[in-house]
Amino acid sequence: MNEILEQIAICVESGKINNASPFPPQMKGQDGADELTKQALDSGITAGEILQGGLMIGMEKVGVKFRENKVFVPQVLMSAKAMSAAMEHLKPFFASGEAERKGIFIIGTVEGDLHDIGKNLVAMMVEGNGYEVIDLGTDVKAEKFIEEAEKHPGSVIGLSALLTTTMNNMEKIVKAIKDNDASRKVCIGGAPVNDEFCQRIGADSYNPDPQGVVEFLNSQAS
Amino acid sequence: MKGLELIKKAMKLEEVERIPWVPFVGSHAGAMLGLTATEFLQSTDKIVEGVNKAIKKYNPDGIPVAFDLQIEAEALGCELAWADDNPPAVISHPLMNGMSLEDLKVPCPCKGRIPTVMDATRRLRDEHPDLALYGLITGPFTLALHLLGTDIFMQMMMEPEKTHKLMRFATDVALMMAGNYIESGADVIAIVDPMTSQIDPDSFATFVSPYVKEINDFIREAGALSSFFVCGNAKQNIEVMCQTNPDNISIDENIPLDFVRDMALKHNVSFGGNIKLTVVLLMGDEDASRRDALDCMDIGGKKGFILAPGCDLAMETPEANLVAVSELVHDELLQGELRASEAKGMDIELLDLSSHWAKDKVVIDVITLDSSSCAPCQYMMDAVARAAEPFGDKVVYKEHRIKEKEGVQMMASLGVQNLPTIVMDGNIDFISQIPPINDIKSKIEGYLANK
Repeated sequence: MNEILEQIAICVESGKINNASPFPPQMKGQDGADELTKQALDSGITAGEILQGGLMIGMEKVGVKFRENKVFVPQVLMSAKAMSAAMEHLKPFFASGEAERKGIFIIGTVEGDLHDIGKNLVAMMVEGNGYEVIDLGTDVKAEKFIEEAEKHPGSVIGLSALLTTTMNNMEKIVKAIKDNDASRKVCIGGAPVNDEFCQRIGADSYNPDPQGVVEFLNSQAS
Repeated sequence: MKGLELIKKAMKLEEVERIPWVPFVGSHAGAMLGLTATEFLQSTDKIVEGVNKAIKKYNPDGIPVAFDLQIEAEALGCELAWADDNPPAVISHPLMNGMSLEDLKVPCPCKGRIPTVMDATRRLRDEHPDLALYGLITGPFTLALHLLGTDIFMQMMMEPEKTHKLMRFATDVALMMAGNYIESGADVIAIVDPMTSQIDPDSFATFVSPYVKEINDFIREAGALSSFFVCGNAKQNIEVMCQTNPDNISIDENIPLDFVRDMALKHNVSFGGNIKLTVVLLMGDEDASRRDALDCMDIGGKKGFILAPGCDLAMETPEANLVAVSELVHDELLQGELRASEAKGMDIELLDLSSHWAKDKVVIDVITLDSSSCAPCQYMMDAVARAAEPFGDKVVYKEHRIKEKEGVQMMASLGVQNLPTIVMDGNIDFISQIPPINDIKSKIEGYLANK
């Protein structure tokens, strides 16, 4: 594998944003995801190759470590920051259609719920794994999810809820989405949610961690 | 025993005769009054009325005055979004919006809703001297997050000394709140710090432990008890939490209770939890609630354990579910019956009773929890013994304790559902109530006459 892509993967995995960043301490003074991505593009590596061969590999490693409780939110956020620094360089290529994403993921916290840490983590990890993410933010109504999904055929919707009370809204939103288009895939997550609840409300997938969402999306995309 | 004493005993890791029960009634008490969370959490009168209603209905040993982690943030200038069916949420983070830490002052206890909850504490204290009152304060890390937003996670990595300064401030606020709650009469100060579930043990030890330890020491010095509450999956941090030297930790259903028990007891800390808030208490029925509570009680045991829901009860939790848990807590017989019926659901091997009966004798089986610890069981055994005495060897009787496997098997084999029960020659004759001795005698005579 290309050495610079390997380096980019390591930067994403360990949360090394750019040369100036003091984190992680053992990589002080080294180039980060930002500089290395620029260098890779300059050397003729395509945006798609950088995404697949560098960023996604780093993000997957972080996702697995997060699932295994080896790293926690602060570390994942640093990785996501490193990744978005790299993505800044790649975005023009995706916008022009020169490089392609794996699919579109629409995410938001359900109506009534303003807690977005979990949702943001999932959004970042999914984006880092090669999907276009449309983040509708917090307190999102069913109509908004449906409206956005209709613009993007084949997109998958992700719903997040932190509160026990907004879980009920999750149920309503899933029902509204499925009533509108029974084939639309909806995955759910959040502290009070579990698999049993997912089945009860007719959602397609529950995942306790962002990597699970990535795996669900991959299973739908293939 | 009175609730407060029971909780103190549990927190001192002394054996208790009954497991104490602390329903985390927050805005749920508002729902009991038919109010929205907004109406409820802004009124001393309503809080007192709601908590009183919950005390009456759920017969707890301890109860929070209010469960709202936004009180301090509000007094510090965070904007809140109020909701009908939830405590409010913090929607603006002053330190993200141009304010600097130097601009923030530890609020006067006269600010915002601090007096609302302190007044409620004083009134509830007067009305319930024997109940453990929990004063809930926002844990310093969660308060720091309210003030700075999620940027704190990056700041911890990039500018750790700034995070320490912020934690210092949040701790000063926590000390002010703890002091005021204790002064108003709270027995237990619960440091509720759910956001710590999001960080790793090293970060916890660096950025949280020294501050929480200081708060715990302060609470102890003031003669109150401390409990560290964390909602969310904080399994990785249970050990570092115990090392901050609290009297108790309370955890939610995301963390296996046996793991918490072993870790807490290893560090001489009492522990509480973790009836499932949503799938059981909110969405399940009374039976499911009882069973889940019993599971917790059987894992928790009678040393150092406090039965509680995993976190703040959802507002719309059916009252019947909490009543069911409360009844179970106070009724050892019910616990025994439930335990036995669960055993029945599993593959309990039924006994072959063909050689159990006798041609010329009446065989009496008494199914009990254990007559040495359960008063009704003891009276029933006494009654049987006295009724049987005049018949000499014409009657044999035996106690089957369902604390033992044989007792459970016998209960299932005889088709007994309640405790205690008297079975004569295989017929279920007396259930639960202790019959007059003459009634037992005449039954025995009847069976003998037909031999």
